[in-house]
Amino acid sequence: MSRHTKTFVKGVKVSERHGAGEWTAERLSSAILVPLTLWGLWSGFALSGGGYDGALAWFRSPVNAVLLAVTLLVSVWHMQMGLKVIVDDYIHKPGSRRALLGLIGLLCVLLAAAGVFFIVRLALGSAPLPAGFGI
Amino acid sequence: MSTSPLPGDASNDPSDDQTGRFVVQPNGRVRPLSPHLQIWRWHVTMFASILNRMTGGALSVGAVLVFVWLMALAFGPEAYATFTGWMGSPLGLLVWFGLTLALCMHLTGGVRHLIWDAGRGLSPKAADALSWASMIGGVVIAVAFWAFLFSSGRVGL
Repeated sequence: MSRHTKTFVKGVKVSERHGAGEWTAERLSSAILVPLTLWGLWSGFALSGGGYDGALAWFRSPVNAVLLAVTLLVSVWHMQMGLKVIVDDYIHKPGSRRALLGLIGLLCVLLAAAGVFFIVRLALGSAPLPAGFGI
Repeated sequence: MSTSPLPGDASNDPSDDQTGRFVVQPNGRVRPLSPHLQIWRWHVTMFASILNRMTGGALSVGAVLVFVWLMALAFGPEAYATFTGWMGSPLGLLVWFGLTLALCMHLTGGVRHLIWDAGRGLSPKAADALSWASMIGGVVIAVAFWAFLFSSGRVGL
């Protein structure tokens, strides 16, 4: 594939590399997050003041656990793209930019992986951590 | 007294430029310099767009706090009591109110941008109206949310 392939949609030249994909991913994640955010507000209201037992009861509903995991993953995806745009706009030194983007990526992977781990444990009614992890 | 000529009087020839309107890019190309923020006339669409970026940045902190909530819950009743103790304090509630405000404004701001991205509401009048509507709508949702929280007795000072 030549780097200079030009693609047109309805007579308008579109991105030759990955720009269009990033644009679409930003909009797709936004659109998915609109209903999930409203659900998140509703859930925050339901969980407020409910204490530990109330929160555990909330997690026993598979719908809540699955929606929360989806919300977390799509939010982290959206957040990674948003923070990348901010870094790309304001950090001009290539080294600093790469380092910051790496840190952001690391933070996002950590939030997503550990977050899903906690959600799965809470949904399954596992014993409180660090149960079985030897601490 | 202004020392730089009016934009209409300035030459568009970079080699003849005395106004600092051109900048040499790292790749050696000469390009016109974008006007800085202080030069732009304040406009509500600009403000709403900046606000969307700022609330998005704030929500990254919110994501970490929600993560800490999950972690406290997974670590059992004592950890959770410590967490709710901090977050239920006046300062904690203020932080969560700020995050709710950021969330609601980012939500309505995001919907505004989706409308614009679909090619609608782009006339100056419609764009201004959408900017105001999204900002006011975000504040209204956040304040209503906390009014319900307090009036239902779930949260108190």
